Amino acid sequence: MVRLAGVDLPANKRVDVALTYIFGIGDSLSQKILTKAQIEPHRKVKDLNDQETLAIREVIKDYQVEGDLRKDITSSIKRLIDIGAYRGTRHRKGLPCRGQRTKTNARTLRGKRKTVGLGKKKEEEKKE
Amino acid sequence: MGRSIKKGPHIDEKLLRKVQKMEISKEKKVIKTWARNCTIIPEFVGFTFAVHNGVKHIPVYVSENMVGHKLGEFSHTRVFRGHSSPTDKSTTLT
Repeated sequence: MVRLAGVDLPANKRVDVALTYIFGIGDSLSQKILTKAQIEPHRKVKDLNDQETLAIREVIKDYQVEGDLRKDITSSIKRLIDIGAYRGTRHRKGLPCRGQRTKTNARTLRGKRKTVGLGKKKEEEKKE
Repeated sequence: MGRSIKKGPHIDEKLLRKVQKMEISKEKKVIKTWARNCTIIPEFVGFTFAVHNGVKHIPVYVSENMVGHKLGEFSHTRVFRGHSSPTDKSTTLT
C-alpha cells in the first residue's frame, strides 16, 4: 500500500494512472512527475520499491496538491466575493462566472433541474 | 486569452493623470469615470472612483486586493430582482 499526499494509491493500476487519484494531479502532471522521478509510467504501483516511492514523494513536494490546493481555491474564491467583484457575486449565486449563457445549460454549476412556479399556484388555490 | 505582455495592462490615461494630480495635491475626491475597462494599478489603492454602470456612477473604494482587476468588475450593470410570480396564463396546463 502506497500513501502519497494523504491518498492511498490503487495498487493494481499503472503508476501514471494511480497518481491521478491525487487531487491536483492529472494526466500530464503525472507524466511529468514520473519522468522527473525516473520511473517508467507503465509499471504497477504494487511493484514499486520504497526508494521509488520516496523519489515520487520528493517530486510531488514541489507541487500544490490535495488540501493545500483546495484551500488555495476556496481562498481565492473568497477573495473575489469579499472585494465585491462581478465574478465573486457569480460564485455566491452559484452561477457560471465566465460569461456563459444561463438561459439553458450551465447544469454543472446550477445543479439538478428545479421547476419554478408550480408551487406558488397551489398556494393561490388554497386562498380561494 | 490574456493581453499581450508587451503592451502592459490597459490603464486609462486620463484617469491616471487625475490620480497623479490628486496624489500631488494630497486631496481625496471621488473621481467620476466611464473607464470600466481600466485595470486597477497599485497607485489607485485608497482612492474612490465613481464607476459608470450604464445608468449612474457607482462608488468603488479601491482596496489592495483589487489590484489587477478592472474597474468595471465592481460596478454591476445588471440588477436581478427575482423572477416574476406565475400568472394564471403561464400556469394553465394545455
